[in-house]
Amino acid sequence: MQYVADMKGAQTAGAAIDIDRVSHVYAGPEGGVQALSDVSMKVGAGRFIVIVGPSGCGKTSLLMMMAGLRDHTEGRIHVHGAPIPKPDPERVGVIFQEASLFPWLTTFDNIEFPLSLRGMSREERRRRSEPMLSLVGLSGFGERYPHELSGGMKQRVSIARGLVQDPPVLLMDEPFAALDEQTRMTMGHELLRIWSTTNKTVVFITHSLTEAVYLADEVYVMSPRPGRMIDHIMVDLPRPRTYEMMATDTFGRLRDRIWQQIRKSH
Amino acid sequence: MRRPDPKIVRWGILIALLVAWELVPRMGLLPELFLPRLSKTLTVLWIDLDKYWAALLVTLYEVVLAMVIACGLGIVAGATIGGIAVLRDLLLPVFSSLYAVPIVILYPIFTAWFGIGSQSKVMFAGIYGFFPVMLSTAAGIRTIDPQFLLAARSMGATVTQQITKVIIPASLPTVFGGLRLGGALAIIGVIVAEMLTASAGIGYLVTLNRTILDSPRVFAGILCILVLSVAYDIIARRLERRMVVWQSAGRRQQQASPRPIAQGAPAPAAA
Ligand SMILES: Nc1ncnc2c1ncn2[C@@H]1O[C@H](COP(=O)(O)OP(=O)(O)OP(=O)(O)O)[C@@H](O)[C@H]1O
Ligand SMILES: [Mg+2]
Repeated sequence: MQYVADMKGAQTAGAAIDIDRVSHVYAGPEGGVQALSDVSMKVGAGRFIVIVGPSGCGKTSLLMMMAGLRDHTEGRIHVHGAPIPKPDPERVGVIFQEASLFPWLTTFDNIEFPLSLRGMSREERRRRSEPMLSLVGLSGFGERYPHELSGGMKQRVSIARGLVQDPPVLLMDEPFAALDEQTRMTMGHELLRIWSTTNKTVVFITHSLTEAVYLADEVYVMSPRPGRMIDHIMVDLPRPRTYEMMATDTFGRLRDRIWQQIRKSH
Repeated sequence: MRRPDPKIVRWGILIALLVAWELVPRMGLLPELFLPRLSKTLTVLWIDLDKYWAALLVTLYEVVLAMVIACGLGIVAGATIGGIAVLRDLLLPVFSSLYAVPIVILYPIFTAWFGIGSQSKVMFAGIYGFFPVMLSTAAGIRTIDPQFLLAARSMGATVTQQITKVIIPASLPTVFGGLRLGGALAIIGVIVAEMLTASAGIGYLVTLNRTILDSPRVFAGILCILVLSVAYDIIARRLERRMVVWQSAGRRQQQASPRPIAQGAPAPAAA
């Protein structure tokens, strides 16, 4: 892939995602709503970044901007060295909270949707989607419709769809929020496995502090609206992560620090 | 207790009705003028088969044209009004109210404009069937989950692709509901119009024979209309089920007793 070279370059030269003093005001009555205020972050290629913050602080807004799905009023956002004025599925894949799979398409067709938009032939599409399906552990479910899948399985399909174009950056907005706790834990673990084999830069939003520490290389903490970055925490737990690490002191201390930051900011 | 198979129930009801149709007048429970027995009805139908067949063809021709008008105009108007916010706010309430007006009162005007031939029936029934198609198309487009469009956009869908690959398939189930109803109304519209003022068609035959008190021939006409409507309903259902596989499948699954579908994470299948 063309971006692999860029990614290697980015590791030394710059960042996969470079957000520089971004502010955003949603137009509306009485001067509108200020959602973001002076947000900056630099994400190294191949890193797993988690953003946490109170509800309504602008996490989703920020993610939408990184995906080219929404404008911002001030500042600069670069993804792999260039602005992202509109969605670019070859640079950025997005995975939403609701699986947002199309109920009228089978698993295969859902995963291949971004490829079909580009007019790729059926054989070529299938050649690409099949390994994705097995990567997320769903081989054999290709002909099923979404209503035949459980919530966790749908979210796996959604991840496969995000990966199929092989974008170097993957943005995930509370992807596991709708799942029960057990499924959520397994999914987090699975995501790390997939991430470790694909070398993607991931920006992951969650409300779960445990999930944040378990998944992240770095955690960014945001303040209540208007969202600012109030802390940047390095998670230096070894990889691969294991469930046992959650019981360690380091894990507890990191989680506690994030919690203190969020509490202080209120 | 196990629920009986709906198919068997349906056929059971049909057969019971047919048997009653034969037996009730035969046993003198109803005078034959009100309800001629089934066998007599079928006999006159057989004798006048050419006449009924010709009338049915006229009616069918009108129905098909009316359906084309109702569905075509309905979809175009519904998509336009449903897709454009300004039009939706201005026009949707107007059309919703119009839908409640019994348009039959306008039929005399249609005959004045289009004559008493097929044209007035087609126009009248077409407009009669137009409303549900238009309203459900508008509703189908209006109620699309914005998340679908956001996801499509994030994958790089152009505006045209958003329409063809998301908006149309997503609104299909709702639109189909309207098409089925619109088609049924088109049939009703044609028959009613034929019964009011006409010179041909099944509805005309029914009215004609009623004025000369020829009950068996009236009921022969009614039987033709029944067959026509039921056939339409079966075809429309089939078509709908084929077109929106995912939706009817979802509904079927909700009705059925909980089937053990795979829960949570399956064992990662090594391929
Ligand atoms: N399209 C919009 N128009 C106007 N205001 C908006 C819009 N989208 C979001 N907002 C406002 O911007 C603020 C940030 O919203 P956003 O969805 O980014 O928060 P969030 O951090 O993702 O919240 P949550 O954790 O609940 O998902 C909120 O106050 C919200 O009301
Ligand atoms: Mg959000």
